[in-house]
Amino acid sequence: MASLRSTSRLFAASRPFFRPATFARSYATVETGAPAEPPAKMKSFKIYRWNPDTPSEKPTMQTYDLDLNKTGPMMLDALIRIKNEQDPTLTFRRSCREGICGSCAMNIDGVNTLACLCRIPTDTKTESRIYPLPHTYVVKDLVPDMTLFYKQYKSIKPYLQRDTPSPDGLENRQSPEERKKLDGLYECILCACCSTSCPSYWWNSEEYLGPAILLQSYRWLADSRDERTAERKAALDNSMSVYRCHTILNCTRTCPKGLNPGLAIAETKKMLAK
Amino acid sequence: MASFARPSLLRQTLATRSPLLRQNVGVSQAVAFHASAKKQILPPLPQTIQGTMNDPVPVPSPHPSEGSYHWTFERAVCVGLIPLSIAPFAAGSLNPVMDAVLCSLLVAHSHVGFQAAIIDYFRPQRVPKFNSLCNWLLRAFTLTTAVGLYEFETNDVGITEALRRIWNA
Repeated sequence: MASLRSTSRLFAASRPFFRPATFARSYATVETGAPAEPPAKMKSFKIYRWNPDTPSEKPTMQTYDLDLNKTGPMMLDALIRIKNEQDPTLTFRRSCREGICGSCAMNIDGVNTLACLCRIPTDTKTESRIYPLPHTYVVKDLVPDMTLFYKQYKSIKPYLQRDTPSPDGLENRQSPEERKKLDGLYECILCACCSTSCPSYWWNSEEYLGPAILLQSYRWLADSRDERTAERKAALDNSMSVYRCHTILNCTRTCPKGLNPGLAIAETKKMLAK
Repeated sequence: MASFARPSLLRQTLATRSPLLRQNVGVSQAVAFHASAKKQILPPLPQTIQGTMNDPVPVPSPHPSEGSYHWTFERAVCVGLIPLSIAPFAAGSLNPVMDAVLCSLLVAHSHVGFQAAIIDYFRPQRVPKFNSLCNWLLRAFTLTTAVGLYEFETNDVGITEALRRIWNA
């Protein structure tokens, strides 16, 4: 393009006498000033703040305003932008920014979800409210304490337990039908959105395992390669571990991965009843 | 005021006013704020973690009578109540045996339901005394209901006939 322009300039310069001034084409001009910016779409975000260094101060909601034209589409983009440009003390977990690590689970506009999978509502009149996962012990700002959750996950022994070696000594084989039973279970990323949306888990989290852990538990109960099904079932067969589930189904409604922990718990109950 | 004040308007005025409020929090307001928290029903206790971070939570010993058997029984009672509560009215006949079964299932169903509510809301770890009080109250009420229904069935018209009379009254 640049070469074309230079030749045309030469051409025009070489023939000033043959061409009247009125026919002379004007050169391409460089526009002065930036193009007109679209009007700013300011949206306010109210974010839960609590600092463990000043534990006597009550948690507050802090408001941040962002121009949506300059922000990425997702809530996590907004949070990262606030942390980078407005308030570096804002604390939250994030890692993969594409919904596979489960770090950025939080309560956004009343729904537990992953900030990286949640679009910012384009309605700029209403503010967005961001809280940590409900009924969790907060470490700081949007960071909940997941210790109990992980301890409960460990208690269901989330690994393949076999006593007999595989027939060919290489791998534990499975038919496509048996593998299909694990679809909708293995995708769980343990973000704890479902467990912290479950009222039963809010009340009895010390003993009730919660939808996320029960879905993982069913993932191993349903696995044809696992040989400790009876032991796993016995570990769940008490009044608290599974049977505090009252099929409220908040878990299925909130799951950011679109899984169905409610169905997995129902299948677990059916397995236990047999 | 309410007719023309749109929710969005109200929200705007609130939003503009809230920073001012936060700056001028008076003593009375702060006291009121703190006093409101005291009225919480059963505020959560500080977090306690048993063992180290890497220990799994203890696995409870199996109790099928509180677990799978209990659940199966509960569901069977629920499902059984549906035909039993329709049948006497559909058949139009009064059968004392059906009445007795219906009454006993109703008592069992309500006992199990209230028991679940007590386990959920009044946990023995959080309110041990109130939990046992509730459990004993529930047992007393269940027993009273059972005795009352027995008296009603034997010395009076019975639950099905009573319902029919109320319906036709």
